[in-house]
Amino acid sequence: MTDTVVKLRLNQQQLELIDRTIAQGVAPDRVALVRLALHEYAAAHKAEADSMERAQ
Amino acid sequence: MTGRQIISECVIEPGTGKAIELLKGQILRVEQVEGGQCADFNCFNLHDYKEFMHCGRTRTVHGFHPTTGTFMWSAPPRERAMLYILEDTVGRNDVLFPRCSAYVYEASYGFAVHTNCHDIQAEAQREYGLTPDDVHDSFNLFMCTGVDEDGHAFMTRQTTKRGDYVDLLALMDVLAVPNVCGADVMKTSNFALKPLKLTVFAATDADLAKVPKTPTLASQRTPKDFKNPTIKTDRPLRRDPAYTPEFPNTPIVVTELAISLSPAEMEMFNAVKRSDIYGDDDAAALRDLLFSWWEERFLQARAGAPSIESK
Repeated sequence: MTDTVVKLRLNQQQLELIDRTIAQGVAPDRVALVRLALHEYAAAHKAEADSMERAQ
Repeated sequence: MTGRQIISECVIEPGTGKAIELLKGQILRVEQVEGGQCADFNCFNLHDYKEFMHCGRTRTVHGFHPTTGTFMWSAPPRERAMLYILEDTVGRNDVLFPRCSAYVYEASYGFAVHTNCHDIQAEAQREYGLTPDDVHDSFNLFMCTGVDEDGHAFMTRQTTKRGDYVDLLALMDVLAVPNVCGADVMKTSNFALKPLKLTVFAATDADLAKVPKTPTLASQRTPKDFKNPTIKTDRPLRRDPAYTPEFPNTPIVVTELAISLSPAEMEMFNAVKRSDIYGDDDAAALRDLLFSWWEERFLQARAGAPSIESK
């Protein structure tokens, strides 16, 4: 199976926030920060998403 | 209140209010004389009336019922803590409802003239040259309100007793304008108008030590920062032919950032993405996820409210 490319559309203010977060040492670059966000968010919200799916 | 020096005291009778110069470090106590009386409250920077207490900002920071330990904030772009609620023996105040007005009593009750908080505020602050247009939405002390299931604000009776009070500590020099709410045909003050006692104290060191620190930010602008610092003195609005727009951070420019997600990451993403909102727009769903994560991990203050450091 191949990777899927998602093209985020971010404006300069959103990029500024991301870059300031990177500058704090949270992730080495923008792509890594998005990937970290995905992993942490999914871990935190998987159970919630599962229960929403069961309710539908 | 041990050790507090009384600077002044008075009673405001039903249908009236009083503009009081409350200097930084002084406390205004608004006290029930009989109980069951709502007090509407406005305040202004004593040295620049264009800076005034803003219920919208205060509501955003502290919720619908601010009480002990919260601040009254001025409107953007000032956004400074003007007063600190040092003590509140009841704990039920309101920033949902605007001040009642003559219109309400005419439209709903048929009164040609009736005591109402807008007009009482206007009359009280007229002593300082302010006009009826300078009355702002009031912080309603002791007013018992809520929001019903349909999203409408409601008011109900209050349970305050004689001697209940709210102490407001001035963090800057202000013109404080409390008034006896004029609503006697609503539940607001339990269907009767009663006097309120006002006492101004000098705060003690112990009082001042209770105030949490608030941040000082570059965005808290004053007239020296305004492109147009001059107060308009006539009523009609006329276009400035020399005007050129200077909106900050414009133009907004969008940049693409390509993220390559492995099959495992796509599975992870698909499990939590908000397809209900974004449909098959994965780019928008991933952007939502990114900033939702950021809020959860880094945002210190609810609803973008200014953070308040505890001492």
